Amino acid sequence: MGQISKSHTKPLPLLIALTAIILIMACPLTSFGQRTHRLGEVVVTAKRPMKEIGVQKTSIDSAMLKENIALSMADILTFNSSIFVKSYGRATLSTVAFRGTSPSHTQVTWNGMKINSPMLGMTDFSTIPSYFIDNATLLHGTSSVNETGGGLGGLVKLGTAPDVAEGLNLQYVQGIGSFKTFDEFARISYGSDKWHASTRAVYSSSPNDYKYINHDKKVNIYDDNHNIIGQYHPEERNRSGAYKDLHILQEIYYSNLKGDRFGLNAWYIDSNRELPMLTTDYGEETDFENRQREHTFRSILSWNHSRSRWRTGVKGGYIHTWMAYDYKREVGNGIMATMTRSRSNVNTLYGQFEGEFTPSRRWFFTANVSAHQHFVKSKDKNIILQDGDKAIVGYDKARLELSASASAKWQPTDRIGLSAVVRGEMSGDKWAPAIPAFFIDGVVSRKGNVMLKASVSRNYRFPTLNDLYFLPGGNPDLKNEHGISYDAGASFEFGKAGVYSFGGSATWFDSYIDDWIIWLPTTKGFFSPRNIKKVHAYGIEIKANLGLQPKKGWFLDLNGSYSWTPSINEGEKMSPADRSVGKQLPYVPRNSASLTGRLSWQSWSFLYKWCWYSERFTMSSNDYTITGHLPQYFMSNISLEKGLAFKPLDISLKFAVNNLFDEDYLSVLSRPMPGINFEFFIGITQKIPLRKK
Amino acid sequence: MEKHIYLLFSLFSAILFHVAFTGCMEWDYGETEEFNATGTGLFITNEGNFQYGNATLSYYDPSTDEVQNEVFFRANGYKLGDVAQSMTIYDNKGWVVVNNSHVIFAIDLETFKEVGRIENLTSPRYIHFLSDEKAYVTQLWDNRIFIVNPKTYSITGYIEVPDMTMESGSTEQMVQYGRYVYCNCWSYQNRIIKIDTETDRVVGELKIGIQPTSLVMDRYNRMWTITDGGYEGSPYGHEAPSLYCIDAETFSVERQFKFRFGDWPSEVQLNGTRDTLYWINNDIWRMDVTATRIPVRPFLEYRDTKYYGLTVNPANGEVYVADAIDYQQQGVIYRYSPQGKLIDQFYVGIIPGAFCWK
Repeated sequence: MGQISKSHTKPLPLLIALTAIILIMACPLTSFGQRTHRLGEVVVTAKRPMKEIGVQKTSIDSAMLKENIALSMADILTFNSSIFVKSYGRATLSTVAFRGTSPSHTQVTWNGMKINSPMLGMTDFSTIPSYFIDNATLLHGTSSVNETGGGLGGLVKLGTAPDVAEGLNLQYVQGIGSFKTFDEFARISYGSDKWHASTRAVYSSSPNDYKYINHDKKVNIYDDNHNIIGQYHPEERNRSGAYKDLHILQEIYYSNLKGDRFGLNAWYIDSNRELPMLTTDYGEETDFENRQREHTFRSILSWNHSRSRWRTGVKGGYIHTWMAYDYKREVGNGIMATMTRSRSNVNTLYGQFEGEFTPSRRWFFTANVSAHQHFVKSKDKNIILQDGDKAIVGYDKARLELSASASAKWQPTDRIGLSAVVRGEMSGDKWAPAIPAFFIDGVVSRKGNVMLKASVSRNYRFPTLNDLYFLPGGNPDLKNEHGISYDAGASFEFGKAGVYSFGGSATWFDSYIDDWIIWLPTTKGFFSPRNIKKVHAYGIEIKANLGLQPKKGWFLDLNGSYSWTPSINEGEKMSPADRSVGKQLPYVPRNSASLTGRLSWQSWSFLYKWCWYSERFTMSSNDYTITGHLPQYFMSNISLEKGLAFKPLDISLKFAVNNLFDEDYLSVLSRPMPGINFEFFIGITQKIPLRKK
Repeated sequence: MEKHIYLLFSLFSAILFHVAFTGCMEWDYGETEEFNATGTGLFITNEGNFQYGNATLSYYDPSTDEVQNEVFFRANGYKLGDVAQSMTIYDNKGWVVVNNSHVIFAIDLETFKEVGRIENLTSPRYIHFLSDEKAYVTQLWDNRIFIVNPKTYSITGYIEVPDMTMESGSTEQMVQYGRYVYCNCWSYQNRIIKIDTETDRVVGELKIGIQPTSLVMDRYNRMWTITDGGYEGSPYGHEAPSLYCIDAETFSVERQFKFRFGDWPSEVQLNGTRDTLYWINNDIWRMDVTATRIPVRPFLEYRDTKYYGLTVNPANGEVYVADAIDYQQQGVIYRYSPQGKLIDQFYVGIIPGAFCWK
């Protein structure tokens, strides 16, 4: 492991050119920048952990997670990974999908506990503030079997860490941005030899009424006889998009310094969001209210016991989610009548036991058992019965989900690693067949740390509770989705301490998913899920990173990723006229890429983020009709930071520009996205050291 | 080695510079086309996917077998909206009801250009014209039928439906007999209501089976509706669906034809002379309006797909059946002769749900 520390004095014309461009772009901003930024360590690893034999993963840089307080994990993953983030708007539902699969094929854990909605199967990443996440790792495809089942696409593993500086630490960050956006973050933490405690809070609010040109509408100009004499695309505001989100995270850790660590994590969310009107909506904003409210509490108690050769861990957790959706209509005199009043209550009990054993330096064994007991009450619609009484349409169900795994990892030589995992899963009273996974990796060349990896697994995903029981439409006869995945790849990493580091990887993957569940309309006017599609998703993921220290005080870090993801429907035709077989799945981009470049000079830091999603089809037949596809789009964000060190306070100033080139773009049909927008942050940090005894 | 690294960095930088300044989403919007659709023809409203705003309007000329898709967009340069529910022709204009866009567009029948719009409706389903200055618009999620003035494109009043809340509000298709308009109430409802068009009040109701889906009036002034029977687990009930024949004069059920429990019939339609009834129940069925029994065999057999829409050419009795396929691609319309022979088939938009003859 080496950290850049030496200077490098060789000038490079293009470097200067790029720097000049960046500075020109940042020129109006430089007077704001005041925050110290440290380039992350550039790591060159010779020996990999046994736990990660053959694993394909993407670790999100902690500096990116803490880039600014306004960002959600959806924003972080958009610019720092090759997975597809489908966003319905700013501070609106954002889902992620790996390798051409669907959002419900992405499992998400927080400190080991699954946080996918048991009702919907997916996770809204726009409700996870990145400042609450200390570790974020993506396990692609097969690699997710090491941690959990059901991740046909992969696993997003989120966690917090007890890495708190010694003494009392105070931090406050205030952000003020476009569209009257206010973000506030406060953290108080305490660290000593044995105790670490941290309290974090984030509050974000905005009317979120950004302007955009509505290409989906025209406003009519009438003459006196109500004849249309002209039309134009109006400049509209994002209507009904306001949000107020509060998050509080409490953590307490105790270590006896003899190998035992106890932890408590508790995360409370109070979210109140309007759901923005479509671009094709001709209703008056003031006459409709479309609002979603959520109260979620997640908590985990953990105990880790470590010895030289083995480690055990026990966790217990609880999740409570209350979700309300109200759709109201003004019926005169300011009275808002309820059209839809949905309520759901989800209570989940969680328990987990895990153990690791290292009998020798060549062998490593793990075992893991986890249980999630869900209690779900969903009330979706109030109706008047035929006899005049009232009733509620909904369901009240409980389901126990068990998952157990065992793995053996073996390094017959220093260069070769083999891993076998077998996992069993139960949902309700149904067991999925055993889930096996095999991994192999090998160091081809120590020079350059050139490594080859390969893995294969089967996997299953149980239908969600809504899939089975939602009224109307739930289908209790649904089968599990199941698939088989392979991947293989190569990676390298080399560098020179203090000068540069360069690494990269390329992975080929191939997976087949059968009995894919999709919700289809019925002739009765509601949707119902069915096992329909057989999907073949394959492709290539490429990642590269370059760290440079061209001169003393200068740091430069570039990270890029690219993904080519054909995701092809290979199922049976649903009708003789079906033209979807052999076509790319809707809303799955065939190509996507992201790039981040960070340039730091002393206490200045400039960050450039870029992402690209290729054209996405909105129809399963991939027709090039006007509404049948969404053109590709590129997104560029920049920020400039400056740190100022005072005694006893450190102050940081940051100016961020999102959608730098004011792109007029859509991620999903009829969901407007914001143009160029700005946010300014000021952060104050105070550290009060412990008194020496 | 360092030289190579810097070359690599140069490459990275060049890529960064290139992508940063070349990115731009290319909009297809803005261009308009001129149409001149004279003669008779068939409009198809394609619902599109709920919440995706991709409803479209197609136009088919049976004399040339030519179909034009997305004609509203192509003629006007903007989208039709979210969930095109129905279309009605009145006063030489086409009135396209776009449910989740809360709007009704009036279009020229030959150029497809918009001539006006009624905005801010709750969740419009169908429009029924009483005069040049008065029409009713039924709604989902509203216990009111809206009264509109088609001349000024404005909402002028409401008809409150008794024993209906906003949350369970559902009024659907309308037919007229004299001064009365009849309307089937569908979602979590079981009745046909009777509206006095002079007072704009509900003056009667007839309870029938669970969830009557559609309503037509035959040549003998008898209304026909078909219920879907609800669904399994519904607190409102689940029963075998039925086809009802209702005398408009007496407002009473004249005949009831029961289907098997679990059947999902829908889309009652009439031919041009209003003496033959058609509906979907997996297959396509046809029955004389004077018949006393449902035929033993269907008119058109199931073709490995779920039929979604149905219409009959009033001029020659040809039958058009819509297949939404997987509801995520362009649906297909099958055109059959009155004898059940396939004449033509053509692709339209996503979820072709309703038809309108010009």
